[in-house]
Amino acid sequence: MKEIRIHGRGGQGSVTAAELLAVAAFADNKFSQAFPAFGVERRGAPVQAFTRIGDVPIRLRSQVYEPDYVIVQDPTLLEVVEVANGLKDDGILIINSDFDPETFKIDTKARIMTVNATKIALDIIGRPIVNTVLLGAFAGATGEVKPESIMEAVKERFPGKVGERNAEAVMEAYKMMRDQK
Amino acid sequence: MKIVPGAVCEAGTSRANKTGGWRTFKPVYDYDKCIKCKLCELLCPDSAVKPREDGYFEFDYDFCKGCGICANECPKTAITMELEEK
Repeated sequence: MKEIRIHGRGGQGSVTAAELLAVAAFADNKFSQAFPAFGVERRGAPVQAFTRIGDVPIRLRSQVYEPDYVIVQDPTLLEVVEVANGLKDDGILIINSDFDPETFKIDTKARIMTVNATKIALDIIGRPIVNTVLLGAFAGATGEVKPESIMEAVKERFPGKVGERNAEAVMEAYKMMRDQK
Repeated sequence: MKIVPGAVCEAGTSRANKTGGWRTFKPVYDYDKCIKCKLCELLCPDSAVKPREDGYFEFDYDFCKGCGICANECPKTAITMELEEK
């Protein structure tokens, strides 16, 4: 079983991203679940969402405390939240940022990868909404889900042109991360 | 901060919550084009446009959320929104 934690700000689509990831994994014939950590979150406050993906039914229902993968939607969160908390040593930390992974001083043995998801989102979708882009990056970096499954999940959730563009952005980020690996 | 039951906490605490980190675009101000009309100051929902002594304005990037209202309303397009590196 693989556990994923997504850090974002309220309104950035972290919860949606976690759900889409679970739907995509389900389409890959795996078992999956997704849920957010609800507190007093309002727009802009740091939020977390979780996804579990497994080959056998998942009975665990707790929050994710020792994730295999962490996705950070907004690099300014690094100053506010300990994003690498509990992250496994052989895990991967994916950050949406312009900068190289080496510039981040984060206390973790896990591999840090960055993707300029904001730029991809602005170029292809036209709005700085990065959740779907980061899912593509996740697929490219980890190989846990097929990018096609994410694209399908995205198109199903957002019918019409919005879904098409988001799916295109997913593929772009997937290719970028796959080449970085 | 100490809160006594039945009382309210002190005023102005939202100052401690710096919301500048939410920004994707940041406003950049062209002083040559500005006619000091004050629209940006009046319309800023976060009071992040501060008047200076010389009548021009400056942005408080600790609280500007990058909504772009100032740039949209500026009659002289003296304010442009630029993608922030982060």
